[in-house]
Amino acid sequence: MTLISALNNVHIPGFYGNYKNKDENNLIKISEIKNLLIVQIVQYKNSSIKIEELKIDELNLKNEPLSVVNSSDTRILWNGPKNWLLISTKKNLIKKIKEVFKDNEFAVTDLSHSKAIIEIEGFNSKEILKKGCPFNFKTLDKNNSINSTFNGIALTIDCIDDNPEKIRLFVLRSFGESMYHSITDSALEFGYIAV
Amino acid sequence: MLYIKCPHCGMRSQNEFAYGGDATVKRPELNKEISDSEWNNFVYLRKSPRGKHLELWQHISGCRQWIKVERDTLTHEIFKTFKAEE
Repeated sequence: MTLISALNNVHIPGFYGNYKNKDENNLIKISEIKNLLIVQIVQYKNSSIKIEELKIDELNLKNEPLSVVNSSDTRILWNGPKNWLLISTKKNLIKKIKEVFKDNEFAVTDLSHSKAIIEIEGFNSKEILKKGCPFNFKTLDKNNSINSTFNGIALTIDCIDDNPEKIRLFVLRSFGESMYHSITDSALEFGYIAV
Repeated sequence: MLYIKCPHCGMRSQNEFAYGGDATVKRPELNKEISDSEWNNFVYLRKSPRGKHLELWQHISGCRQWIKVERDTLTHEIFKTFKAEE
């Protein structure tokens, strides 16, 4: 079966916007991230299991707002009370997740094919997001994540790095194209490279 | 624009929330016989206070949790926010 990414015919590599007479290394880079494992993990209200005792890919879940626990391959984003989003490059981790998070205590949902992922990298990445998202980005540090809206579309923002800024946006696949156009329109002012 | 402090996520814009109505309205107890007028009061009748009001909001674009907000309907000042079960 051929997998078609969410932004397959939308994301076209090239230079766009106000990029002329600017150093290519300082331009914002926008890319589509593909082939990640995305799993939503929700602990049932009546579950009494202590999440500190559960480990997945050597990481513990953390029930703390904004927090992201991460290793080189896997990131676990706090999505709400007893609600996490696991992102990993290890596609076969899903088997282990289903073993660790028993189905009478947790709801585990594979969302790998239902999200579009856009990555923005460069010094003005947060400025782009400020144009459509009401969140106070001064409070978003490295390894923080939030759920918010961008031009009315619900999204998850994961701050991977802050120098230079590297931010991943997760949006429902069906809103991927709309979100991509919103983000790239906002980036035109600075000039960007679609990679 | 209002800023609402979600007890789970922190200070967020009103854009991320959906209004859920009066938080003081209580559903009649299960299996208890109640009159049509009591049902009518529960389903339709709402006060329209001027001043402090306890409201339900859902952080629909954030943590998706229902919360209670004590807000002044005249000035829109928000005094306190609680988790729904508090």
